[in-house]
Amino acid sequence: MFRLKNIPIKQKLMIIIMVTTASALLLSGVGIVAFDSLLFRQSLERDLSTLAQIIADNSTAALAFNDPQSASETLAALRARPHLVDACVYRTDGTALASYTRPGARSACPAAEARDALRFTSRGLLVSRAILLSGRRIGTLVLLYDLGEISERMKLYGATVVAVLLVSSLIALLLSSMLRAVIATPISQLVRATTSVSETGDYSVRAQRLSGDELGVLVDRFNGMLAGIQSRESSLRRALRDREEALQDAKKAHERFRFMAESMPQKIFTATPGGEGDYFNRQWIEYTGMTLEQIKDEGWTQYLHPDDLDTTVESWRRSIETGEPFHAQQRVRRVDGVYRWHLCRARAMRDAQGNISLWIGSNTEIHEQKEKEEELRQANEDLQQFAYSASHDLQEPIRNVAVYSEIISKRYYNVLDSDGRQFLGFLTEGGRRLATLIDDLLTYTRAGVIEGDLTAVDSSAVLQHALSSLAEAIRENDASVAYDALPQVCMGESHLQQVFQNLIGNALKYRREDPPQIYISAVHLGATWRFSVRDNGIGIDPHYKEVIFGVFKRLHRDQKYSGTGIGLAICQRVVERYGGRIWVESSPGEGATFFFTVPEHAPRVQSATA
Amino acid sequence: MEQVTRNRVPRTAIIVCLTMGLSLVPPLSRLSGEPLEYQVKAAFLLNFTKFIEWPAAAFETPDSPIAICVLGDDPFGSALDQIVAGEVVNGRRVAAQRFNHIPAPKACKVIFVGTSEKDIARLLPELGIGVLTVGEGTSFTRAGGMIAFVIENRRVRFEINRTAAENAGLKLSSKLLTVAKLVER
Repeated sequence: MFRLKNIPIKQKLMIIIMVTTASALLLSGVGIVAFDSLLFRQSLERDLSTLAQIIADNSTAALAFNDPQSASETLAALRARPHLVDACVYRTDGTALASYTRPGARSACPAAEARDALRFTSRGLLVSRAILLSGRRIGTLVLLYDLGEISERMKLYGATVVAVLLVSSLIALLLSSMLRAVIATPISQLVRATTSVSETGDYSVRAQRLSGDELGVLVDRFNGMLAGIQSRESSLRRALRDREEALQDAKKAHERFRFMAESMPQKIFTATPGGEGDYFNRQWIEYTGMTLEQIKDEGWTQYLHPDDLDTTVESWRRSIETGEPFHAQQRVRRVDGVYRWHLCRARAMRDAQGNISLWIGSNTEIHEQKEKEEELRQANEDLQQFAYSASHDLQEPIRNVAVYSEIISKRYYNVLDSDGRQFLGFLTEGGRRLATLIDDLLTYTRAGVIEGDLTAVDSSAVLQHALSSLAEAIRENDASVAYDALPQVCMGESHLQQVFQNLIGNALKYRREDPPQIYISAVHLGATWRFSVRDNGIGIDPHYKEVIFGVFKRLHRDQKYSGTGIGLAICQRVVERYGGRIWVESSPGEGATFFFTVPEHAPRVQSATA
Repeated sequence: MEQVTRNRVPRTAIIVCLTMGLSLVPPLSRLSGEPLEYQVKAAFLLNFTKFIEWPAAAFETPDSPIAICVLGDDPFGSALDQIVAGEVVNGRRVAAQRFNHIPAPKACKVIFVGTSEKDIARLLPELGIGVLTVGEGTSFTRAGGMIAFVIENRRVRFEINRTAAENAGLKLSSKLLTVAKLVER
């Protein structure tokens, strides 16, 4: 039993069958023998009792007539019972009349007993019986029966049991070797299958189902498990292959990126999501004269102009935190110690989950452009200043011209002849036009200036003001004006009113015969509001749709459409000042729609004045 | 020979005998003065009654005793009386009687013919039917008697003339026949 656990199931089954069979047989054999020996003793007792009775009966005459010979003859018949050892007939005085001893046995007849007895003694079964004649005891018969028969029987039985045991064990062995295949073969199959799988790693192996019992279920489950592993393994292989390919692709992409980055005239860099520079291309190295090790991580900050360092670092930090694109203009020190302007841009690259995986940035040298811009800005500023002072200074003399030509036309009207009056008329008209022109020029130059902090204004209210300023013209032109609900925008109130007024004024001015119909609306597009002013006027040839926004650009020279040609220029200047855009969509005879955009929130206004 | 073995009887056997009180073969010491041979013969006479069946008609009444009669000289002395005293066989008492003449029919069931009687052959038919005749010597059976005592190797044995007994209507037990010498006359 101690090592039963570890022996093969085949042998276990055999041992179980053999042990069961043998113990059942042994038990039943012992039971049968025990029961039989009990029965046998009883029958032996009965048998001997009967025998004793007969012998006793047959001995009466011999006793009665004291005839030992006859008694001996009677006893001699007991030879037929080989297990009868001794038989004696005693007289009443205890002397033996006759005795019988089995041939070869030593004679020792037990003494007569007063009472009938039948008991087992050390020598065997003892029977003592009174011999009666006419109711009187005339003697005693004593028989001694050895138990050899019992032991012979026991031996015979033992031999039979052993023989049956051996034969049935043999049969059980044969049967079990046939029957155990029913259990052991499926198990062996399963073991072979598992061994094969674990040795070869081939998961396409399947165990054969040989039975519909628990082993069959086990085989099914095992096969199902194998199928699961097989499919998982193949998908794992696929995933590995995909990954390999993806890695190759990534490698290629990386090489391509490197090649591209190295080939670009710009200075290209990448940074970790935490903001440490981890790649700088050749242009960086050549420009700064630093090694990659020096420039990496925070090294690049040493080469920024001290005045730009704080704003750049702050802006970079904010971009790292928010993930918004980084944008800065900065001076970077060249290897010869000269600082040159660069435009630095960087954008975050995100993975599928939206997490930043990399920052990619470029530095473009804009030094010359920056210098020219500065020159241009200076020149423009000078010009603006000049135009403002000039028009401002011109106001006084032109007002004098207007005033005095008015006085002359009133006081000296009768003095002048018709030519003089006509010339004076030309002079008055010219003066008035010059004054308007100067006013418009002043307006134009002021249009570039935003005064004070910007607050949100209700563009509906601003439109109302513009419409009331134009009320007379609207009435004269018999025009109808419609508008939607308009949003709150961040724009100077007077500037917005100017834009509305100019655009609506134009719509009234460039009308056809039909009464003008004007429609104002606004739609929200991204971070801006787009306003539109639509009319049904004469329209504009697309060819001119850029030109019309220039200063003093007028398409119509005739008297029919009066104006200084500065209105749309003012509009453009105002809208662009707030970071917006203005344009027109039209075709001749179809009316025109002017669009302009206004940022939803206050733009970062440059300090420049204009 | 029996005398010799008697002294060797184990004590237990003697105790058994004393306990039982009665015995078919009484101890010979009690019969001192009497010839041993006739004590044995007296006992045999009694025992014959136990192995022989008489026809019912042989008895006058159902409780008539079985009478053992001695005809002529009595060789038994008191031995026969002592032997039969108190004996009951097949529900009948056993009695001993002595006659000097031919007894009345049905008076005796066993008649021992003493040696004093000379002309046995003439005597026997007179003794009547249903009577067991016992005598001495082979001449007795040769003369037509049923049982004759003979001495063989100094022991008392007997012969049986079966024909004579059966002719007299007696049934002899087969056991009796096994211990007797059978003679055909």
